[in-house]
Amino acid sequence: MGPSSVNGGTSSPPVTPLRFWRPSTAVRRAVAGERIDLATLLERRVIFVAGKGGTGRSTLTAALALLGARAGKRVLAIDVDAKGDLAAALGSPPAGFAPRVVQHDLSVLELRTDESFQEYLNIYFKVPRVTRLTPLARIFDFIATGVPGPRDMLVVGKIAYEERRKEPDSGTPVWDLIVVDCAAGGQMESHLAAPKAMLTLVRGGIIRAQVEWIDALIRDPRRTSVMLCALPEEMPVIEAIELHDRLRNGSGVGVDLCVLNRAVDEPVTAAHRRLVAALIGPEHADVVAEHLGGSPAPLEAGIDLQAHLYDTTARYLRQLRGRLPMPVVPVPFVVDRTGLTTTRAVADALSSRLA
Amino acid sequence: MSAIESTFVPERRRSVRSETVGLGRLLGPLDVVICCGSGGVGKTTVSAALGMAIAAAEDKRVLVLTVDPARRLATALGIKGIGADPVRIPKARLRRAGITINGELEAAMLDMKQAWDRMIERYSPDRATAQRILRNPLYQRITDSFVGSHEYAAIEALYELHDAREYDCIVVDTPPSRDALDFLEAPTRLTDYVGSRLLSLLSGGPSRFGFRAMNYAAAPFLRLADRLLGAEVLAEVSEFVQQLQMLYEGIQGRARSVYRLLRSPQTGFVVVTTLEHGPFTEAEFFCAKLSEFKMPLRAMVVNRVLPDLFRDPGGVAAATTLVEDPKVAAWLSGELQMKVSADTARFVGRTFLTRNTLAQREARQLSKLSRLGEVPIVRMPLFSEEVSELEGLVRIAKAL
Repeated sequence: MGPSSVNGGTSSPPVTPLRFWRPSTAVRRAVAGERIDLATLLERRVIFVAGKGGTGRSTLTAALALLGARAGKRVLAIDVDAKGDLAAALGSPPAGFAPRVVQHDLSVLELRTDESFQEYLNIYFKVPRVTRLTPLARIFDFIATGVPGPRDMLVVGKIAYEERRKEPDSGTPVWDLIVVDCAAGGQMESHLAAPKAMLTLVRGGIIRAQVEWIDALIRDPRRTSVMLCALPEEMPVIEAIELHDRLRNGSGVGVDLCVLNRAVDEPVTAAHRRLVAALIGPEHADVVAEHLGGSPAPLEAGIDLQAHLYDTTARYLRQLRGRLPMPVVPVPFVVDRTGLTTTRAVADALSSRLA
Repeated sequence: MSAIESTFVPERRRSVRSETVGLGRLLGPLDVVICCGSGGVGKTTVSAALGMAIAAAEDKRVLVLTVDPARRLATALGIKGIGADPVRIPKARLRRAGITINGELEAAMLDMKQAWDRMIERYSPDRATAQRILRNPLYQRITDSFVGSHEYAAIEALYELHDAREYDCIVVDTPPSRDALDFLEAPTRLTDYVGSRLLSLLSGGPSRFGFRAMNYAAAPFLRLADRLLGAEVLAEVSEFVQQLQMLYEGIQGRARSVYRLLRSPQTGFVVVTTLEHGPFTEAEFFCAKLSEFKMPLRAMVVNRVLPDLFRDPGGVAAATTLVEDPKVAAWLSGELQMKVSADTARFVGRTFLTRNTLAQREARQLSKLSRLGEVPIVRMPLFSEEVSELEGLVRIAKAL
């Protein structure tokens, strides 16, 4: 089975009965040869982008959102941290709790617990949003601080709610794809595990039925998956591996892909080394410096650093590939600051690696 | 030693404001050194190296209390593993790695669960209460997910160790929180939570906060919560918070003592950061908060700094010509009498210019640190902290 057998995925996936089996990632990897194609990835309904802080999660989430929109899907990008990073990566001012359109077929939303709570009450209990709910929200906030579950549940619940939302007239889903910029590390796991945790805690009440379908959505690998982010550094790699193991054993969420971000993937060759050696060699130094407009001596450090980073990238790529059953895709380092230009470059890289 | 190490590691030039005494000597007289910063900046490694530098500078018994999740610090320290009980790092082993320790160096790993359990046992009015709380299913989950619970556990462990006076100096590697500030706010947050009126209100039982009046306000919530979650959950929660309230006095008293310790002149904070936008902004914010809380910032360690070499104007000019001049490859081929392709020339120029862009950005960030005033700033060059064995750690300790 090659990428050609999967067509472009221009329409949203049909709503089929839940299927709890799909070829394991190991099998797919063996068949597809280290690859998952972009179309398959974009057929998911919800993709959680997870990884240690600083691994470029927001940029990768934004890149995935751009790719989804390019493939003709209506995409919602959700920022769980609400620090505004995701909106910035999409070239937008900070979004709010209501989805903000950033370009054709692409909206961004920032989650905030209190607003989630109000919306929740509004939808399920018809508590009007205009009512001053401050005391109630405060009490909720307070309980949620101490008792695990409710707050995480609101996060997952809002995501699941957006997944289920239909256009009022046509009845088609409002979003084809939802990409989620997860909170760092452990928090993301409690979000994903929240429905399961709530199910052990809540044995009755209205909430149980809701939690059950949310849990089913999260644990259906055809609809929901995780994209892990790592950097070619020791701790981010270890954390990605550990996060994968815990996800596999814990919340039962499928992991489709691991991205090694800021990969330095251009090797230093013998020709590069020869040129540098000749440039800085004593016999040509003066004339070279004059022609180039400055002494080339520091260039050796640039080449050394490049070689070191290339080796480091290769080493961590091997480590990740050895430990993770799903494809690991390097995305090259982009020098620019976070913003739409960088996101586009990352999206192009991701798309070419997944083609 | 590989080429890259010889290029980047020996750079031991000191900071913007140069400080001649090493950090080991500077921090050595303190009882407690707390390393803070966002996750992924190399805090654990810096903490271990600081402990080493202090033990080298002073004849002191030094403990490094770490929260290292990957346990690679144990490997780096040349010991099998670090547990909740302190392990001594053999002097001979350190000497072989190139550092002579005057004092003693020990390392211990923070055990979150143990720290919490002990806390519950200590503050419970009686054993039965402690047992009830420890057995409560909600307890375990709260210790995992209460905001700042890891930070609080770390502070508790630190306080206990400090109180026991077995060590002259304790270096604490703070947990990798989402927000470095969690560490400072953890004791207040816990006290506020346990002592809160809302909690007593939810616990349903009579309390010194006069629950009758409050209960009226909470009635709509309780009704709603009942519908939402079912009555059992609420009963469980309420039972648990009732138990938790019995600990209030103890926790409040401890929080006060902890803040006294954190503000003591014998305590020092070291903020660790990289020059990346996120961690750097957080570090700046953290420094501001420290002064607001009147907690002493003693030094700043800026990790993974690109060498100044990458800002060399001559290098930039040469690299730019290599990238932009279409005839440069032909000229080089003639002059150097070797075949130079345009791609090769561009690659050599480009690799330098990429790092130059980053080095300039870093320099701008570094210059912002002058706002901090007279705090010593130590720059750690890139890669020196990719530590997998004792020699690497020693190298950092010496650079500090």
